[in-house]
Amino acid sequence: MSIAVPSASQTARATATALPSASHGPLFLSDVVWVCYRSLKKLSRNPFLLMFTLIMPLIWLALFSQAFGTVFSKAIPEPYNYVAVLLPGIAVMTAIQSASQSGFAMVADIDSGFMDKFFVAPIRRTAVLVGKLLADAIRMAAQAGVVLVIAYVLSLALGWKIPFATGLPGDLLIMLMAAAFGVAFAGLSNTVALRTKNTESTMMVSFTLTFPLLFLSSAMLPLAALPAWIQTFSKINPVAYVATAARSLIVSGYNWTQIGQAFLAVAILGVLLNGLAVLAFRAQGR
Amino acid sequence: MPAAPSTTVPTSPALTSAEGMGIPSLEVRDLVKVFGGGGGPGRQPEVRAVDGITFSVDEGEFFGFLGPNGAGKTTAIKIVTTLLARTSGHVRVLGHDLDTEGSAIRRLIGYTGQSAGVDGELTGRENLALMGHLYHLPTPLIRQRVDELLEVLQLTDAADRVAYTYSGGMRRRLDLGSGLVHHPRLLFLDEPTTGLDPQTRNAVWEYLRRLHRDEGITIFLTTQYMEEADQLCERLAIIDHGKLVAAGTPAQLKAEVGADAVTIRLPHDASFEATQTRALTLVQRAPGVVEASRFDEGVVARAQNGGSVLIEILRILETERIPVNEVAVAHPTLDQVFLKHTGHAMRVEEVRPASRMGWANRRR
Repeated sequence: MSIAVPSASQTARATATALPSASHGPLFLSDVVWVCYRSLKKLSRNPFLLMFTLIMPLIWLALFSQAFGTVFSKAIPEPYNYVAVLLPGIAVMTAIQSASQSGFAMVADIDSGFMDKFFVAPIRRTAVLVGKLLADAIRMAAQAGVVLVIAYVLSLALGWKIPFATGLPGDLLIMLMAAAFGVAFAGLSNTVALRTKNTESTMMVSFTLTFPLLFLSSAMLPLAALPAWIQTFSKINPVAYVATAARSLIVSGYNWTQIGQAFLAVAILGVLLNGLAVLAFRAQGR
Repeated sequence: MPAAPSTTVPTSPALTSAEGMGIPSLEVRDLVKVFGGGGGPGRQPEVRAVDGITFSVDEGEFFGFLGPNGAGKTTAIKIVTTLLARTSGHVRVLGHDLDTEGSAIRRLIGYTGQSAGVDGELTGRENLALMGHLYHLPTPLIRQRVDELLEVLQLTDAADRVAYTYSGGMRRRLDLGSGLVHHPRLLFLDEPTTGLDPQTRNAVWEYLRRLHRDEGITIFLTTQYMEEADQLCERLAIIDHGKLVAAGTPAQLKAEVGADAVTIRLPHDASFEATQTRALTLVQRAPGVVEASRFDEGVVARAQNGGSVLIEILRILETERIPVNEVAVAHPTLDQVFLKHTGHAMRVEEVRPASRMGWANRRR
């Protein structure tokens, strides 16, 4: 029994050889998009994971608003509900959680041998990293969106005073900030994942940093309510800049200085951590 | 119908390809890979995983590395597929330089690693299509090629199921397919049947033979199975402790360790002793027989070409009216070749080290 090879294959073969061998420009973008598409498709095949990805922010919201809400409103009387203060913090926290897991997929792909499939393909290694981060960004923006939508629905249902001062454009900006911060922070998870190739280490490193970053910032409480040393530390904590800018968008309005500082902080963190991730990625097999 | 080898096999030296064949598909000279050593807190003893190997593979050839676990097979294949940096040595793949033309090489080769590199959360069709996109084939062609591969790999019925639900054999076939979407000219297979049951192994062999025969694709395979090397490879090299210890066609290698054993069992009756003595004299004189000796059930002869010598012996014995109970020809095996060259028997380990076992494999 012999298998005939259709002549179409011959065409494919000719086309394959005629195409440029390095992936630059549009080809690089195409690679990024396909890697991203694959990651999102995987996420969609995990309904359980997808559900918890979206439920997680809700749990944070419920826990923190209940645990701190009453205390907060007694301590600092504000014209709006504590949830309005908390909202950006939860959006950032959710992004951090997802970012911490970013490296898991790397470890899984290395273990399964799938990463080698990427590496023997004529694509640039950075395309694999950028594609994964793009998928992460979409996921984290969606999560932040869910947080905002739920808060909005609750504010209507329960009569919470949440100003949503900048409306939908401001909300989109918050989603963008959360995603940008998440991508920046994911650099750490990916670096550890690529260097250790171990899920536990990847989890522990990010997990250990998550809570100090969140609580040594204005993410959960207004900066003025925090001790002086935390206020000092928050000056070098990127979470603080993102939370402050996002909070203004909810409670008061556009503060472009804060927004600019937030993106600058994210950019510095992102270049630093993802630079390390790129180095770790290039070092694979070297 | 067995395929006729498309290239003539060089007689000597067997490690390098025949002359005048044009550019070899793969040229490796003095390849060395050293792991560990160096300074730092995680200092480990230096391991020479690949210790100066030289070989080449001709275009259209089915070439194999045979060796036990830890012999350096995977390390060597990862270096020539651009996945791993080498310590030293010279490598050209399809005429391209490994250092400066990695991207061109990657476009032209296919690679299937030891652990099935398929995405369990994607369907078979999606796995193949993704590879097509990463090799920048136009979408209509990808669709066509994917259908074609699913058909050939007998995965059409399972094409739209996620790969988690596949059996080990199906997963392995899908893995093979994902390295073939872009019509590679040179295919690298790292232990393609390790961990498969015999039936699935046979199916994979059959597919590889067909691929080689029908598409003329050059294949470089590593294996720890003697039988696999014997069945598939036109030429093979035996690797142990990072060094190539022998190379040639399976037949040449086996011829090296000696002759076939032709066993003639005689009826155990009153005249056994007398019959045995007469038979021994006749067998010793038969053309082609190198030596013959008694054993407790009859006579055993050694000859290079056991099959035809046996026919000759039977004819002589019949003419001389010597009754024969049973005959057998035993060919030398690659096991013996391995033993001869390495001084130890080859041990096949079915259980792979934990570090090589990914979650995808565990789910099988």
